[in-house]
Amino acid sequence: MLPDLHEIRTADNVGIGYDPAGIGSRFLAFGVDTLVQGVVVIAALVVALALAPAGIAGTLAIALFLLVPLLVSVGYFAVAEALTAGRTPGKRALGLRVIRLDGGAPGLREALVRNIVRIIDLALGIGVVVMFFDRRSRRLGDLAAGTVVVREHRAPTAAAPPGLPPPILRTPDAGPAIDGVEHLGNAEWGALRTFLSRPGMAPDQRARLAAVIAERLCERLGLAPGAPERQWPPELLLERLYLQLLPRMAPAPPGHGMPV
Amino acid sequence: MTPEQFAARRQAGWAELESHLAQARRGALRSVPAADLQRFGVLYRHAASDLAIARRDFAGQPVTEYLNGLCGRAHPLIYRGRPVRPSALPRFYASGLPRAVRAAGPYVAASLALSVAGVLAGWLSVRLRPDLAATLIPDSLFDRMARGEVSGGIGDAPVAASLIIGNNVKVALLCFCGGVLLGIPTALTLLANGWVLGTLASSIHRDGIDYRFWAYIVPHGVIELSVIVLAGATGLMLGDAILRPGLLSRGDALIAVALRAVVLCVGVASLLVVAGLLEGFVSPSDLPTPAKYAIGAGSGVLLYSWLLLGGRTRRAAAPRLQLDAGG
Repeated sequence: MLPDLHEIRTADNVGIGYDPAGIGSRFLAFGVDTLVQGVVVIAALVVALALAPAGIAGTLAIALFLLVPLLVSVGYFAVAEALTAGRTPGKRALGLRVIRLDGGAPGLREALVRNIVRIIDLALGIGVVVMFFDRRSRRLGDLAAGTVVVREHRAPTAAAPPGLPPPILRTPDAGPAIDGVEHLGNAEWGALRTFLSRPGMAPDQRARLAAVIAERLCERLGLAPGAPERQWPPELLLERLYLQLLPRMAPAPPGHGMPV
Repeated sequence: MTPEQFAARRQAGWAELESHLAQARRGALRSVPAADLQRFGVLYRHAASDLAIARRDFAGQPVTEYLNGLCGRAHPLIYRGRPVRPSALPRFYASGLPRAVRAAGPYVAASLALSVAGVLAGWLSVRLRPDLAATLIPDSLFDRMARGEVSGGIGDAPVAASLIIGNNVKVALLCFCGGVLLGIPTALTLLANGWVLGTLASSIHRDGIDYRFWAYIVPHGVIELSVIVLAGATGLMLGDAILRPGLLSRGDALIAVALRAVVLCVGVASLLVVAGLLEGFVSPSDLPTPAKYAIGAGSGVLLYSWLLLGGRTRRAAAPRLQLDAGG
């Protein structure tokens, strides 16, 4: 995982990593939200102008309209974030959301703090400078409210299960048993699986990468310098290792499942 | 176990959690029936434990990333602050806000001191260099005074009130958010606000006390200046949290104080509506000067008896009595 991930701990002490949103996508979301605000203000203006000739009611309408831009500029974000659990229309359009540092949804107080401090963030572009230096791209409002804007990963449908494409295997058989294969575990098998299922690599690139991985694995297997496995083409070694580890990985341990 | 087998075994639960997530309206589970809510909690915990397994066994694989995203989307639905209900507002104004004001006592005093310093500096500078009065007094103030004196018609009053409310709310919010820059913008705002009053009062009083001037200031000024001082106090709270965080880290201290202070800031800023209406309708009106003074004094008495007395409870005497009875 990336080092800049914002990791929270659930009550069961499971880590969930959130991907902080960058300046670009947040700027675009801000643009969309500004458009929405503009529509609200223009709608209010139209109503006010329609009422304007109507004597005292018209004066009141104009007077109230004068308050709209201020209400909208601070109120829109605060209310929208508090009501939608951190997903204003603009953020939703860009797949962003505001969360508290502990991963919870922001309440009205957090939303108010981060959006009142927006005044300072927008002034002289201080916010952008602060975002640039903060590891999680937080602006001053986020720092004061204890929030971070994260990317919300698009939900894959249940019909399209998450997984790697099938591994590309050129040798259907596992070959002779490799010495020390019992030293390898989940991590190595996962690496082999990822390498073998990567599509569209140039053949010479693939061979070079395979040689690097094979060298590392040979060390881990504890193979002597003259072992026959070292003479195999690296890609063949990797495929055979994968296939020999597969039976150990494939049978699911009993009693592991949960009644879901 | 391969990631595919792992996913195949658990997918039903994940898909069910996904469908619950899709049901959540506006990022909340308010519209979800109680039985489903319990199921949601169970599904979420199972997904989280699957994530723990996946992080250990399938680090960096798509299934892990998928589970991470699934749990990441479900987590904020369960963990969140208490929702704010409109029905809590009367109680907030009756006791919460006055208590918050009193709790901020030292900061209010500091904010008041800064404002008074601004007034004194403004007063003295005009007194010492009367020839520079025109430069010392901010321009817009003359305009505003002129408009205030000229406009007596009720027709413009609503518009003026709106402009005034908007402007003052901006100042109050600026006072709050200046806190994140160590409170320096807050202090400058308070000084400048005092300066305006000081220079203006000084130049008008060169020829003795002008009761008409104060009749224009007092009706709304009591509330307006009090609110600016209180809003300034919230900004100073933030600055102080950064400078003297105590046992917390500076960042955590700022967050804790900001979440408390924002309630105070927004609460007192709402009073600016009252001040703005007084400034738009009463201050420039043709009411007799004594009536204007009475309105100003009345607003002050109401404001401060509310802020100083609201939400006080009688000292609990019960524990002491019990001790006496026991001994």
